[in-house]
Amino acid sequence: MIVTTLKPLDEILDSISPYRRILIAGCDGCTQPPRGLREAKTLKQLLELAGQLRGKKFEFKVTSVVKQCDSVLTVSALKPYIEDDVEAVLSLACGAGPQTVAEFFPDIPVIPAQNSHFVGREDREGGIIDDSCAACGDCILALTGGICPVTRCSKGLLNGACGGARHGKCELDPNRDCAWELIYARLKRLGKLELLKRFTPPKDYSLKGWRVTP
Amino acid sequence: MSQPVAEAKAAVNINDDYCSRCTICSSLCPYDAITQDRENKKMVLDIEKCQVCGICYSACPAKAIETVYYSTDSVLKYLEKIRPQYKSDTLVIMCEGSAPDFNEVGKLFGVKDFIPLSVPCVGRISEEVLLGVMVDGVKKINILACDEDYCRFRRGSPLAGRRVIALNRMLEQLGYGKEAITLKRNSLKVTVDKDLCIACGTCVAYCPYHAPKLESVGGISFDLEACRGCGLCVALCPAFALDLDNWERERILALIPRLLKEMKPPKILVFRCQWSVYPPLNGGMSPNIRTIDLPCAGRVEALYVLEALQNGADGVMVVACSEEDCKQEGVSARAEHVVARIKEKLEQIGLGDRLEFASVSPRYPGQVEEKIREFRDKIAAAGAEKGKSQ
Repeated sequence: MIVTTLKPLDEILDSISPYRRILIAGCDGCTQPPRGLREAKTLKQLLELAGQLRGKKFEFKVTSVVKQCDSVLTVSALKPYIEDDVEAVLSLACGAGPQTVAEFFPDIPVIPAQNSHFVGREDREGGIIDDSCAACGDCILALTGGICPVTRCSKGLLNGACGGARHGKCELDPNRDCAWELIYARLKRLGKLELLKRFTPPKDYSLKGWRVTP
Repeated sequence: MSQPVAEAKAAVNINDDYCSRCTICSSLCPYDAITQDRENKKMVLDIEKCQVCGICYSACPAKAIETVYYSTDSVLKYLEKIRPQYKSDTLVIMCEGSAPDFNEVGKLFGVKDFIPLSVPCVGRISEEVLLGVMVDGVKKINILACDEDYCRFRRGSPLAGRRVIALNRMLEQLGYGKEAITLKRNSLKVTVDKDLCIACGTCVAYCPYHAPKLESVGGISFDLEACRGCGLCVALCPAFALDLDNWERERILALIPRLLKEMKPPKILVFRCQWSVYPPLNGGMSPNIRTIDLPCAGRVEALYVLEALQNGADGVMVVACSEEDCKQEGVSARAEHVVARIKEKLEQIGLGDRLEFASVSPRYPGQVEEKIREFRDKIAAAGAEKGKSQ
């Protein structure tokens, strides 16, 4: 999923201050828990309370889109609100959502309410979220025991450990496991250590691309 | 027990002068809080383990256990006092855990008018109370207990069931008919609106009872046998697709402005887990403070807090059990986290001080009142300070 966090409320207030009638658009998509209707409603109430303190009155509408990165779903969900005289859209989606809104509703300003960080995983018990996929366009997880060295090795090394790790932790960040030690342990467990002998050439980042046909 | 001060303050106490060492209390205690001293054979209560369910109090044949909550005398006196308000000689005793709405309870027993008595666990109501009210002229007693495996005190509901069977046998011999006392069981569980569900799996991740299942085909389903009605999933569902029987979101949202309207500033609205505080039977209410009971603090959601602030609450307090005392698999810790997250956001707009979380236990009477007073005074002082600066 795309990991996002809510922007500081002061920043959001600043961005929406020129407008009065604002649509807060949640996204039921990949973020966990989704920044859907509940988040939209909570944000509405927080901004109304903040507005009261600052002598500013907003008129919010709230809705949520199944996936804001999907133009068809976004247009059909938001159109009735936008035709209903909304001055701006405050989007709770990752960076893809506001851009969909901007492209298909060119006359309405769109404001992001979230900062998007990375493609991550979440261990809900401990609440740990880490950068798991760089969307490099050329996945090598089959060779690395299902552990991505591009994101989880600080140096993004593709062919084994740098040798700097101490007690399994990265020399650059002692809170971070050495990805290559994890890969070694996992491949050993799977009886696939011979995969370490396979050479991975430097990544061809042109494969990442900027437009692909699924 | 070594600290006499703490002992004097505790809600339950064993009076050794009356104790006959029968050990019934220790065999019934669901929390192993009562043990017998090997040397002097005295029964010893570990108040830190005690969850104040009242089961020992209701079962002690020697009346050696003292409690500040719902003692036989206080319940009988209370019922005598409130009886004239009701045009009925039917008494309904219900567990708060399965009966927050008196109308629904009436429907379950098919009675419209009745004298209501709501207690935390019906297992704490002794034979003496039941027979006492019949002596006082009550013609029919209905008891609403939780389903046995839903009982927050594990043994309270089963004990109430056995008690009623035994009493009915005796009462039948005395000519009171076959079922002078009727006991029914009920549980309040999650309800799902599949049309609103976005299949995100949040409920699956957080339910401590593994009740929800999410399949890629068929979507969400709940094993209602497993659901224990804590309401955590309802509070977290990002799409408002879940609700809780008798504790519906709309019902609580409607209550918030109504209560705030009748209050005087500084207005402190308290959301409390019904197991963390036992309200006194004859509680007078401060004009500054109103309370909304919840099935567990896990049912608290940002919406309630913000709705309260928007409707003029000067302070909002969430009162929960500690994680160790939580009757719902430690859900109260999750509630604390939820409240902390709301507080972080309120801090950003300068309202952080208006929300407070407190964990308390009924084993220390007066503890919660003190915490609420402290919070109210803090809010009042902050209000006065702000008034001065303006």
